[in-house]
Amino acid sequence: MNKESFQRDIFIEEIFQAARIDRNIFFISADFGAPALDDFRAQLPEQFVHSGISEQHMIDMAAGLTLSGKKVYVYAMAPFITLRCLEQTKTSLALMDLPVTILAVGVGLGYADAGPTHYNTEDIACMRSIVGLEVWSPCDEASTRMMAKKTILEPALRVIRMERHALPAVYRSEEDMGQGGYTKIQNGSGICVLSCGHMLHRALEAADRCTDVNPSVVDVFRIKPLKQELVDELSTYQGVVTVEEQCLSGGFGSAILEGMADVGLQRPVRRLGLPERYFFENGGRDYLLDNFGLAVSDIAEAISDLAINAAK
Amino acid sequence: MAEISLDKKAAWLRRVIFEMLSKAEQGHPGSVLSLVEIMVTLFYGGIFRYKAGNPEDPGRDRVIISKGHAAMILYPIFADIGFLDKDELGLFGTPEGILRIFSNTSIPGIDATSGSLGHGLGIGAGYAMAAKYDGQPSRVFVVLSEGEMYEGSTWESALFASHRELDNLVVILDRNRNIILGDTEESLRLEPIEEKWQSFGFDVVSVDGHSFSELEEAFENIDNLNGGPVAIVANTVKGKGIALMEDDASWHYWQGMDTATREMIQSQLQAVEEAIQ
Repeated sequence: MNKESFQRDIFIEEIFQAARIDRNIFFISADFGAPALDDFRAQLPEQFVHSGISEQHMIDMAAGLTLSGKKVYVYAMAPFITLRCLEQTKTSLALMDLPVTILAVGVGLGYADAGPTHYNTEDIACMRSIVGLEVWSPCDEASTRMMAKKTILEPALRVIRMERHALPAVYRSEEDMGQGGYTKIQNGSGICVLSCGHMLHRALEAADRCTDVNPSVVDVFRIKPLKQELVDELSTYQGVVTVEEQCLSGGFGSAILEGMADVGLQRPVRRLGLPERYFFENGGRDYLLDNFGLAVSDIAEAISDLAINAAK
Repeated sequence: MAEISLDKKAAWLRRVIFEMLSKAEQGHPGSVLSLVEIMVTLFYGGIFRYKAGNPEDPGRDRVIISKGHAAMILYPIFADIGFLDKDELGLFGTPEGILRIFSNTSIPGIDATSGSLGHGLGIGAGYAMAAKYDGQPSRVFVVLSEGEMYEGSTWESALFASHRELDNLVVILDRNRNIILGDTEESLRLEPIEEKWQSFGFDVVSVDGHSFSELEEAFENIDNLNGGPVAIVANTVKGKGIALMEDDASWHYWQGMDTATREMIQSQLQAVEEAIQ
């Protein structure tokens, strides 16, 4: 794929094309840009709103626009459009059940080496706690395009957790993803590895190294609501590994565990994520992941260990 | 004649509000009663544009009680103008009714769910911008408490409304000087209030929030100012109209009262209403 195809540009390009036809589509940015957004701003200036670096106001204003019949996208750097205005998302969007799309760019440690103010390592826990808010994570170009189209065709209150950088292709096309909220990328047996977004790529690489185990790898691109069929499918495995670029409290792995517990499914589960701390270290995203428990070798080891223990 | 009719409406509204609060034994009398003359002028002084019985009209004016604890001020008015079933007033705060202390958009006519402070101006800005974009004549009235001047999001939205020249957006600031722990100027100074809103680009008018003539003049001029959003600073008395509650921060929330006191206040409010022709 074209390495310059950033998720934000892919997404905005889709919205731009839709907005050219539908003048009720509004795009609000809290001073966050993208090459594709430059086209939107230039050609549809009335449908673009600069909110100022005011995420709280941006969400409240989005509520007023949506209550007036507009289809609204709000866009900013991930940490600021998720946790900084969480109260507004709850009160002004969720309480009124307003179908606003929240575009959060640069999840996980994507903004390394900016440090913890710019990392998003708690957002899954926080965002999925908001009543009725859907949480989606694309892992490549096709999945990003699919989600953009989804927001246009089926508006709902959603956060789209986008990557800062371009990622290699996982899907050949949007059709490969299916409509189920998750996709089995690698079909194996015994152990099922679940991940999403950036970490899905590491999980796939780790699974490739575990030839003796031959685990399945699943892209859970819709973290909330969790698809029931996914949980049902987990019952066919002996163990489950979850991999996330989040601190573990209430995150991706927690969501999977809750889904399993709710139907009484008991399997050994290994949750891999970041330690409960903030990261001020320099060295880049890969360095941080490699040194804080999310190296490909760490994931491969967890898969192998679980395969041995689950078989006992 | 108009003044007399507004007096009568205000007396009616106070009586009904007291009946609802005392029956439900919950709510925020201080913050609701300070708004009576403001809302009576807005709805019965020919300011607020609406079609009776049609809360869904997209071209009507909007009203957001951003100080959500006072949202119940709208219920008797909405019942009176046909937005709401009148029987709902008697069910206020009960499991059988739809009317709550804090309002939400499932209640006919309510334009924004409120209760958490500092959201109303941003939501109002969104409404105002959409109305302009759609060519709708709607004006958006946002009732803020002075306490919301402590919320940073209020100023984010004020900055935006001014830059966008949202001249269809009107802030009504209920300046009753009381927050829960006492006087605002002793707790954390808000003055100079007018200058603060002016510096954010608002056309500011300061009025006695219990004077119909001053309120009418302020409202009648909102379309003729300098092209930006408007802030009407309404100087009010918390708990206005019920001596026991006036200017007493403890009546921010319903305190309970014995039957004799309740009946005495009830008959006083009724007498005031009946005395007005």
